Amino acid sequence: MNTIRLSNVVPEIFASREDLHSDIWHTELTFERGKRYLIEAASGTGKSSLCSYLYGQRGDYRGTILFDNTDAAQLSANGWSDIRQHHISILFQDLKLFGELTALENVVIKNNITHAQTLDQITSWFGELGIADKLHARIDRMSYGQQQRVALIRALCQPYEFILLDEPISHLDDRNSDIMRDIIIRDAETKGAAIIATSIGKHMNMDYDKHLCL
Amino acid sequence: MTLIWKLLRKHISIFELAVFFIANLIGMAVILAGIQIYSDIKPMLTGKKSLIGNEYIILTRPVERVGMGAPTFSAEDIADLNEQPFVVNLGLFAASQYEVDGSIMFNGRRLSTMMFFEAVPDSFIDVTSADWKFTPGDSTIPIILPRNYLNLYNFGFSQTQKLPQITEDMIKRVELGIRLSGNGHRDDYVGRVVGFSDRLNTILVPMEFMTWANGYYADAKDGKPTRLILEVENPGAPEVTNYLTEHGYAAEDKPSESSKALFLLKVCVAVIVGIGVIFSLLSIIILTLSIYLLLQKNITKLENLVLIGYTPTRVAMPYNLMTLTLNLSILVISLVVVYIAQGKYMGYLSDIAGYELSAMPTTAIVVGLLLTAAIIAFNFFIIYRKIRDISKRR
Repeated sequence: MNTIRLSNVVPEIFASREDLHSDIWHTELTFERGKRYLIEAASGTGKSSLCSYLYGQRGDYRGTILFDNTDAAQLSANGWSDIRQHHISILFQDLKLFGELTALENVVIKNNITHAQTLDQITSWFGELGIADKLHARIDRMSYGQQQRVALIRALCQPYEFILLDEPISHLDDRNSDIMRDIIIRDAETKGAAIIATSIGKHMNMDYDKHLCL
Repeated sequence: MTLIWKLLRKHISIFELAVFFIANLIGMAVILAGIQIYSDIKPMLTGKKSLIGNEYIILTRPVERVGMGAPTFSAEDIADLNEQPFVVNLGLFAASQYEVDGSIMFNGRRLSTMMFFEAVPDSFIDVTSADWKFTPGDSTIPIILPRNYLNLYNFGFSQTQKLPQITEDMIKRVELGIRLSGNGHRDDYVGRVVGFSDRLNTILVPMEFMTWANGYYADAKDGKPTRLILEVENPGAPEVTNYLTEHGYAAEDKPSESSKALFLLKVCVAVIVGIGVIFSLLSIIILTLSIYLLLQKNITKLENLVLIGYTPTRVAMPYNLMTLTLNLSILVISLVVVYIAQGKYMGYLSDIAGYELSAMPTTAIVVGLLLTAAIIAFNFFIIYRKIRDISKRR
């Protein structure tokens, strides 16, 4: 997948509003592979909705989202599974980790279907992010900042051309935020992938090709 | 797989599954046992070695005038009967056309009587004996008597005459003096009873003997038969009785006991299988509700699995494996139950039938496999549909 094109897309609940001043809603917009995008938004402007639309979690929008030339609205359940396994990775704002599994199991449950990373690579990321001692700790016993790092590792356990980061550093200090940024840039560059990050204020320090305001 | 199982086994209600397991086990075992009993008993009511044995009818024409000789069946009558769809097999009675004089030494007295022989093709005879054969030149004639005769003697004659009662084995050991005469010949033979018939109410000799003796002691011209024996599928069927009335034939046998018994058997089995089906249906409803509830309780986890890239089929797999294991164990246990039950009742059936029956629940295995396959397919379908609904975009 080389491009994601949004053509006149708007959430249904905003459809009747005339006063939308947005770089994204009701516009023609193309995300290209290899570039870096930062989407800045005030809360309630539909940032998480955008991620849900791009990831096929929700379909309550007007307009068209095209993956290359495929209309996202036409994808079947298995079609979305293919997108989620091979083309678009996501770090959910609410993480969507499994509380009763350990940190490592949460990563492995993803890697089991993609077989994208070795166990060595996974554990070395745990080390880099400072949570090596939490490998076998249950997720629901870990802090939100620690969970965010586990969710990132899980997001990296697959091939992708686009990675969506929905408020990735909301609970991280600057040091950990920088470590996370370095890992993401390294991984995305080897894959030639685009980074699409959202933020409601605090954002990862990197050179973005485009700043968009919702 | 183990990781998804670790996630999704939560909220599995052992109680609900146990109720399903027991209910479906009872239902399945009852259905399979009912069907197996039916398929084991049915051949005994309809097969050659019939229990009640009334799918044979013996036809005569009623005597209309005294002294005219017994009414006979013409070749056209027989050909017409042979064309009837309800006739499975037709045999002619051949009667002796020579004088038969039988005698027996009994308690030091010689009892002598005039008698007659009849013969029918072997396939109509319900007695099997290695001695049932004759070749010209033999001095022994095998004979089959109606069991009625023995009963008549034992329970009627011997009581009033203060004579001892006799068993079948005793009679089989007795030598009867048989003197045949006619056509300028007169010879003595030994008659030996080789068996007793419940079906044929006459003194039978082998067809080979009858053909030879009628040629030797009488002129070979074959007399027209006075009696016919018919093998029919269901003697009680209207087309049979209608045909007989139309042509003025009389049937010697009573209306079919076996078809009544078969009907009764069918009713009993239908009731048993019906109860089994109700059990199974209820248990399937329990399982369906239990699966729905389970999926509903795990809905967030299922959604998240789909969101991290799992296909609905893959997410369904643990639940499919669970129902597969449950249903296959139920099938195996029910078949074991049927096999054990069959071993028990086959003993009784063998006693009644008088011959050894083999116990192998083939019918139960076939029906059980089909039923289980249908239940599993249904379970897979509802699981897949539910998970597909969960994974749909909202």
